[in-house]
Amino acid sequence: MFERRLYHHIDWALVAAMFALCAIGVVMIYSTTSDPTRGTSHLWVTQLYAIGLGILAMLVTMTLDYRTFTDKSHFIYIAILVVLVYVLFFGMVQMGARRWIPLKLFNLQPSEFAKIAVALVLAKFYGENRGAPQTSDLAIGAGLTLLPLALIAKEPDLGTAVTLIPVFLAIAYLAGMRMRILGIVFLAIVLAAPVAWTFVLKPYQKSRISTFLDPSQDAKGAGYQQIQARITVGSGGLSGKGFRKGTQGQLRFLPVAHNDFIFSVLSEEQGFAGVLVALGLYLFVILRALEAARLAKDRLGSYLVLGVLASFSFQVIYNITMSAGLAPVKGLTLPLMSYGGSSMIATLAGFGLVLNVRMRRFTN
Amino acid sequence: MVEDRRKASIRLNALQFVIAALFSLLAVSFWTLQVVQHAKYEEMAENNHQRTLALRAPRGLVFDREGRVLVENRNSFSISIDREHTKDLSRTIRILSQVLGVDEAGVRTIVERHRREPTYRPIAIIQDASLAQVAAVAARKLDFELPDVVVQRVPTRRYPETMAAHLFGYVGEVSETQIAENSELKSGDITGQFGLEKVYNSYLMGEDGARRVVVNSVGREIRTLEEEQPTEGKRLQLTIDYDIQKAIEDAFKVAADDGLSNAGAAVVLDPRNGEVLGFTSRPAFDPNAFAGGIDRQTWASLNTDDLRPLQDRAIQGRYSPGSTFKMAVALAGLEEGIITPDFRVSCPGHANFYGRVFHCWTDRRGGHGSVDLRRAIAESCDVYFYTVANMVGIDKINKWATALGLGVMSGIDLPNEVQGLVPSTQWKLEKQHEKWYAGETISVGIGQGQVSVTPVSMAVYMATLANGGTRVTPHLLKQIDDGTGWKAVPPPPPKQKIVIDPAKLEAIRDGMWQVVNGTGLITGATAKIAGHDVAGKTGSSQVISAQGRAAAANKTARNLRDNGWFVFFAPKEDPRIAGVVFLEHGIHGGNAARVTHHILDTFFAKEDHRPLPPPPTTADMHWDFKDADR
Repeated sequence: MFERRLYHHIDWALVAAMFALCAIGVVMIYSTTSDPTRGTSHLWVTQLYAIGLGILAMLVTMTLDYRTFTDKSHFIYIAILVVLVYVLFFGMVQMGARRWIPLKLFNLQPSEFAKIAVALVLAKFYGENRGAPQTSDLAIGAGLTLLPLALIAKEPDLGTAVTLIPVFLAIAYLAGMRMRILGIVFLAIVLAAPVAWTFVLKPYQKSRISTFLDPSQDAKGAGYQQIQARITVGSGGLSGKGFRKGTQGQLRFLPVAHNDFIFSVLSEEQGFAGVLVALGLYLFVILRALEAARLAKDRLGSYLVLGVLASFSFQVIYNITMSAGLAPVKGLTLPLMSYGGSSMIATLAGFGLVLNVRMRRFTN
Repeated sequence: MVEDRRKASIRLNALQFVIAALFSLLAVSFWTLQVVQHAKYEEMAENNHQRTLALRAPRGLVFDREGRVLVENRNSFSISIDREHTKDLSRTIRILSQVLGVDEAGVRTIVERHRREPTYRPIAIIQDASLAQVAAVAARKLDFELPDVVVQRVPTRRYPETMAAHLFGYVGEVSETQIAENSELKSGDITGQFGLEKVYNSYLMGEDGARRVVVNSVGREIRTLEEEQPTEGKRLQLTIDYDIQKAIEDAFKVAADDGLSNAGAAVVLDPRNGEVLGFTSRPAFDPNAFAGGIDRQTWASLNTDDLRPLQDRAIQGRYSPGSTFKMAVALAGLEEGIITPDFRVSCPGHANFYGRVFHCWTDRRGGHGSVDLRRAIAESCDVYFYTVANMVGIDKINKWATALGLGVMSGIDLPNEVQGLVPSTQWKLEKQHEKWYAGETISVGIGQGQVSVTPVSMAVYMATLANGGTRVTPHLLKQIDDGTGWKAVPPPPPKQKIVIDPAKLEAIRDGMWQVVNGTGLITGATAKIAGHDVAGKTGSSQVISAQGRAAAANKTARNLRDNGWFVFFAPKEDPRIAGVVFLEHGIHGGNAARVTHHILDTFFAKEDHRPLPPPPTTADMHWDFKDADR
């Protein structure tokens, strides 16, 4: 199964960049959560365990040929749907959402794994087709995406649900979906926006959007997090306030600093210099993974890589934009850095597949 | 297949560019926020987590002339809203008023008044909170319910003894008008609003300090960054003698308790320099009630009270001087060369001037008979002074009364003094556009008619007679200590110095000595102090005419009684104390002389180094309640 020579084809540069980001994440989690005046918190240790489990998952997804996974993708897909339905009925409720299955070490969030399942099933579906996908193929692909998306949105977890869309779009795009169709989709959204504004959106949703456009309108309410995020990032300056010296994160002006806003904390404490390092690492990871898609032995492989990469890139770019207060606040984590076991394990498992495709580019 | 690969490769390249472009955009955004706009956001972050708390400076202590504390400070707790950390002001107001147990509308009014001020300046809701209120707020703060409410320990004014309320005055939150007038004051400051607290506010106020603290997102203080200690206000030493002041208050208290008079005033000076030794106005208020912010009810009752306790009668009350005015008429006659001390008038108990009969208080006894100036003062002969006044004329009376300090401002260092009135032909022409009739002068001769005086001006009048013609300016401030030691404050210069022939003055003084120490129909014997030559003069002035008395039958008897005056200086040779006691509706000057006795007894006990007399009792006072004719 795992031939020794494959070992030499592992993309060590990509692995190094990923774990560098993980390390930065752990350090920032330590910085924001271990307040000596409130007793020590061990969230950073938990994160280390999650990374450990993630490595195990990554070894599994690397070791077996990725075609084994795609061959079984329909089972994986159905299994995930079952789990998502289970969560809807029996999941643990936290902060008004039913998203988790409680496990001993942490709470499992199945929606994170749905991204991989969708990437696998779509890669297989489009990989088996020849030529540009027809309208019917696109409809089936969209249906395969929308099913788990709806289940996750129902939890509700709109943020994670939305990350499934780039998976579909990226794979369809690479499979040769006509740009015209893509154009039509965008045009439809643009045209629908004013109609939706007038007839569909509820007042609180409108206020959320107008608050994003001008956060000072509601500086203590909905705009609060956004303004605080901007202050956090802006006050960091060129070189930052120093490790554990960030006032915004340390004094809790920024909510969920170790989670959704971890990049803000990095910006505050390490400044623009730190931001450039992290941005560089993420860019490297993404470009390196795109390289894997290009090198893949077959279409299936490159679709799989792109599927995994799509949700990852979308989340990275959105989260970083949000952490600078430049996008509406949505509960989206920053993969590899944010605190969270499921996200970490799913991300590392996904990148196991990316490495898998790359190292098997010469095999048959 | 190859075509497919090529196409896929192009699409991957396009993705690559899009990703790289997005990341470049992100880098530029972060550059803009973190480098270009850094200063702005850094300031916002500082404001976020740093809070400057004002440390209120204690006001300067006030001492009496012998260094005894008259006004001090105590610690109290103020509770305020810091709007900088308020998410929902309305909710904070609602919860806070519930927690404090106060009227929500009242709290809203306070907040509304300060609404336009910068948010970092806390709005004080309660100046002097009870311990229960402090505990209740602290408990809610622990629950993070009131992160925007600040409890601070602040120094608050304390007046240990209920005395000289109008003299000390009171403090209160600065008004908008005051801020507009004085750029050194800022909203929320506690400043003097009345009395010495107001006049010497710039000395007493001190400079607030500040403490910069780091707070977390729920407003909890994490640590102190820097602390600038407040500078205490300057300490003032007054000319007031605590013992004299207490003697005045004690004697007035007995007069009130016994139902004689619950209103009046007294001013006691050192005639040599104008230092005020004692000063009171009755009824008084409790300045402590203002120190922590006066409640509406107390304020309303002070303002609606018929006796007007907020009025400082000593400098704002205008009353007819009655017979106490006779020395001014005498001096005018003597100095203008119209009479000599030996000038005699025969008093049959009444006299006829300009076709009208004017009575002497001895009319029912058949009059004084033939009296000279000394006896006329000693026995307060009205006919004598009708005659002299008629001879001297109103304008010369005005000239000499003014020189003695009557009908003019004393210039005492207290706010809102009012001016009395000694009429003149010019005054009448200007104010009433009428000629002065000679017949009007007759009543002025015995201090009735148009004449009105303030108690403080009467004290100056006595000081001028006592020191031989120097119209001293009464003043309260003796020394100031700005932290570097006591420095004497130069006394204000006298308002006027007149040359009085000592022999003529001596005749008036002799008459005043006899009022207290003589024999016959004297009226001030109750002020006598064994072994000390007290000189004085009683006076009673009608509050209402005989006709009016009948018309006002529904008024209480007390309101219809005559006012009682006693003016004095002592000892007759080399006077060291001079002043006035005024009892509103006190019936007789003799009753005011009884109050004076206790004051002088205390003064001389100190001089003689004997124990101070105990507070007087009803038995000591022997009030004369008989509604006699004078």
